[in-house]
Amino acid sequence: MSVAAEITSAPAPAQVSPHAVRGGLKAGQRRIGMLLLLPAAIAFGLVILYPFLQALALSLFEYTLETPAPRFYGLGNFAKIAATPDVWQAFVTTAIYVFFTTTGTLILGLGWALILNQPFRGRGLLRSMSLLPWVLPSTVSAFVWGWIFNSRYGVLNAFLLELGVIDMPQAWLSTSTGAMIAVIITKIWLSIPLFMAFFLAGLQNMDREQVDAARVDGANNWAILRDHVLPHLRPVLIVVVVLGVIGNLQQFDTIYALTGGGPVRATAVLSVEVYRRAFEQWDVGFASAIGVLWVATLLPPAFLYLRMLVKGA
Amino acid sequence: MKKIKSIASVAMLAAGLGLSGQAANAADLSFMSFSYAEEAAKPSVEALLKGFEAQTKLTVEPLGYAWGDMQKNIFLRSRSKTLPSVAQLSERWLPSFANVAGLVDLNEVYGKDKLAAVFAPDALAMGQIGSKQYALPLISGSIGLIANKAVLEKAGVTKTPTTIEEFRNALVAVRDKVPNSVPYTMATKNNGSILLDFMIWTWTFGGEIIDEQGKVKIGNGEAGKQALGFMVGLMKDRLAAPEIDRPDARRLVAQGASAFFFDAPQARTHLRSFSGQGPAFDANVLPLATPVAIAGKEPASIQWGHLLVQFSADGKAKADTPASQFITYLTSDDAQSKFPLEQSALPVTKSARANPKVTGDAFLTAWAKAAGNPRRNEVGIWPNAAELTQIIGEEAQGALLGQKSVDDAIQAMHKRLETSMANVNKQN
Repeated sequence: MSVAAEITSAPAPAQVSPHAVRGGLKAGQRRIGMLLLLPAAIAFGLVILYPFLQALALSLFEYTLETPAPRFYGLGNFAKIAATPDVWQAFVTTAIYVFFTTTGTLILGLGWALILNQPFRGRGLLRSMSLLPWVLPSTVSAFVWGWIFNSRYGVLNAFLLELGVIDMPQAWLSTSTGAMIAVIITKIWLSIPLFMAFFLAGLQNMDREQVDAARVDGANNWAILRDHVLPHLRPVLIVVVVLGVIGNLQQFDTIYALTGGGPVRATAVLSVEVYRRAFEQWDVGFASAIGVLWVATLLPPAFLYLRMLVKGA
Repeated sequence: MKKIKSIASVAMLAAGLGLSGQAANAADLSFMSFSYAEEAAKPSVEALLKGFEAQTKLTVEPLGYAWGDMQKNIFLRSRSKTLPSVAQLSERWLPSFANVAGLVDLNEVYGKDKLAAVFAPDALAMGQIGSKQYALPLISGSIGLIANKAVLEKAGVTKTPTTIEEFRNALVAVRDKVPNSVPYTMATKNNGSILLDFMIWTWTFGGEIIDEQGKVKIGNGEAGKQALGFMVGLMKDRLAAPEIDRPDARRLVAQGASAFFFDAPQARTHLRSFSGQGPAFDANVLPLATPVAIAGKEPASIQWGHLLVQFSADGKAKADTPASQFITYLTSDDAQSKFPLEQSALPVTKSARANPKVTGDAFLTAWAKAAGNPRRNEVGIWPNAAELTQIIGEEAQGALLGQKSVDDAIQAMHKRLETSMANVNKQN
């Protein structure tokens, strides 16, 4: 084909409005986009970014009740952290708490979702009731569990005494292990509905025929779960684990209401440590420095989550 | 029409909000108080406010915060420069706030000599940091031992214990004869409360925690180990129990499930309320001298009281400013002859203490006899009191709950207290 023929066979250029400005539509869209973003950006800046930067700056200052104004301290607070075993212990306590809480919630949330995905009478009611722990304010739940574990009036002791498992009431919240188990159980109980909802949504998207075909091929329940359900739920699983880790790293209210970080320091996770340093010992600079390190522990899972979101988009 | 009605409603609501906001702003002074947030004490505080407003025609904006939240709120308000005109403090908090900008030296407002002439010396001393009078007392007393007479009778304890040996025997009798009881509701849960029990027993065994010069004494001799060993022994023999804080102790004693606990005289008001019997329960409330290790020694008790501090923008005030007038009213004979008695505590002025209503109060008289020579809280006087309290509470709790030996706990306590005290300059 000749060049002339190519030119004549090419589609005619689109008609442009005589009022159009070069790049005008795109620029306009950008402006509207920016305008729509503005309220959220302002809220983010005021509520999250400014306090975060403030805390970041304060971590470089000595700021206690004895210092009427903050005094520049450089990396002094971080050096103090390095020399304070209690803070390192708080990191270990946090790791234990996050691991067991996330794992426990994952297993029980998935199990509960698998049960609620089966057809049976009253399923709708049970699904609704399963959301109750999520609806209750977390501090209320913490106090409820506090009474369950109470050494004198607790239901748990009454139940175990009745069964003959123990011969005298136990002070569950007064041992390091007991208190840690109590805060973990409470958080798992609170988080199951959310995890369950994620998993249930994932399960409802699963192709039933795939499961039926596997059953025809002789697969048992475990094989179906391992080879079909879990691979199907993999994207949900990753999101749930990442969100669970982030949420559990930030946990404060249930722990503080249930044990106050004790006994001694058995349940003093990073959030409790920051609170104690800032509002019990009034060492705001030191608390900010711990907070900065705490944020650093949150960054990897947060980055992972954002990466997944972007990739998904 | 409907639209007009809606607009009118919104306008009225806005006007109402505006008016209420104006009313709040129009108050002549603000008073931050933890008693105002307590159910049992609130009516008495409200009566004080009404009395002041009737007498001076000045209005007070009350700001009620729970006792446990007071320090945090004052601290945050000092940072945001929204401090109240007057605030109520526990006596042990004062050193922590001595550096807060705007705290008024009340010697300069009322005159040192005049204050010395009006107030009882022990009460006035609670508000002093060095040569400054940063607070005036509102009510006073001590932390001492309280027994439930009915529980002791049930256990067959006819003689009140005066020595540690007798005290232990009484506890054993209660444990064996009163089912499901905690004979001594020793504080084992909250650091702040554990400190007080530990301090009293340390003094009882002849020890100190920190001396007047700021030197850590606990762990240097045997007294600290003996005191903590005694407390651990009570736990082992089920004469005390875990998970007990002061409020738990008050409830258990009020319910006849405990015989002994340490508290301020104000406990009578709580026991009246928690027992559901009101003043009829008073017959069971027995103030006792803390048992001694060696007969003839001085029974231990800790100085206790509520203070009033005044704030102003430049830390200065005159006697005729509304906040100063309010403090004057709260410490007047009129207020002091009612409020402290309603709180089961001692008044703070000399004239009010001589009032027949006070001298005729059997409970307060018995209290003064049992715990009338209290010592100053040797931890609370330091600016790093919060950290010291946490250290002592954690180490003592560790031993009480069997997580570490008494020796290890006392050694760790000594070491941590020394580190904390290393950079502290004593303020008083």
